[in-house]
Amino acid sequence: MSEVENKEGPAEEEQKDYVQDGRNKYVVKCKFCGSKMLDKKSGKYMEAEKELPLMRQDNNRKEGEIQSETIKEFYHVENMYTFENIGFTHTVANHKYLSCADCDAGPVGYYDMDTKHSYVAISRIVHS
Amino acid sequence: MAKTYDYLFKLLLIGDSGVGKTSILFRFSEDAFNISFISTIGIDFKIRTIDLDGKKVKLQIWDTAGQERFRTITTAYYRGSMGIMLVYDVTNEKSFENIKNWIRNIEENASADVEKMILGNKCDLDSKRQVSKERGEQLAIEYQIKFVETSAKDSLNVEYAFYTLARDIKAKMEKKQEASNPPGGRSGAHQLKANEPQRKPTSWLSRCSVL
Repeated sequence: MSEVENKEGPAEEEQKDYVQDGRNKYVVKCKFCGSKMLDKKSGKYMEAEKELPLMRQDNNRKEGEIQSETIKEFYHVENMYTFENIGFTHTVANHKYLSCADCDAGPVGYYDMDTKHSYVAISRIVHS
Repeated sequence: MAKTYDYLFKLLLIGDSGVGKTSILFRFSEDAFNISFISTIGIDFKIRTIDLDGKKVKLQIWDTAGQERFRTITTAYYRGSMGIMLVYDVTNEKSFENIKNWIRNIEENASADVEKMILGNKCDLDSKRQVSKERGEQLAIEYQIKFVETSAKDSLNVEYAFYTLARDIKAKMEKKQEASNPPGGRSGAHQLKANEPQRKPTSWLSRCSVL
């Protein structure tokens, strides 16, 4: 993940109005129910390309197929207890997926079992 | 980064298969056309942040579903847990009778001072009820454990139960702290002031009746 780490930091600040000093300027909430996931400034902004399964999988998809999309922006959270409210799924291929603790919508990101760090997909949350 | 909370409590949901432990932790409902990726995989645990009398408390709540078929929960699950919700289903007599076995399992594996609470779940299904509220209360008295009937489906008393368990753990910890740092002792100890006004619990919580 070293290449990813390089892109962390305040460099993006000018372009992203939701980032300040390299961190989330606003509270991070669930898109669907508004449950509070992260307090202000508790996640580090980073750019990385990562495949994340879609929240809703088509019932007509091929058996065993997982429909996913590429996510490019994340908030990096080193300690899981930084989260205000969040769910962790069972482990799949060295990941746990993150979900809303209140309405269970997800994945809103993933947790890496090796580093024990979490990554919140910015396109799957709202700021407030 | 500095610690942003006052307490962190690990809680477990325990009870027979099918009593609704997962529903207590997991609320997602499927629609007819799509299947949620999350519900396919299932939730391992949740982190919730609550305010208890002005203190920021993080709860890490573990579902033990899938483990219970072994009749016991492995020691690994109990490790470090400070509170346990013992769940039975009011429409399933057997699950109620097994609460005693679960308590024995806890006594054998968990830390001796773990806080416990009994939940009689599915109390919305009154026509199918096999265990009266009185019997639940009686069992709770026998073991000197708090008790409440819940409905995960209607979100009835679920939040209340977690607040109650968390508050009891916090009280126990503060008592311990006080015992190791008696008043008038070394400065810098975290001491609760006797004249500090106690915050009232959230309004709807106070309406619930428990033992």
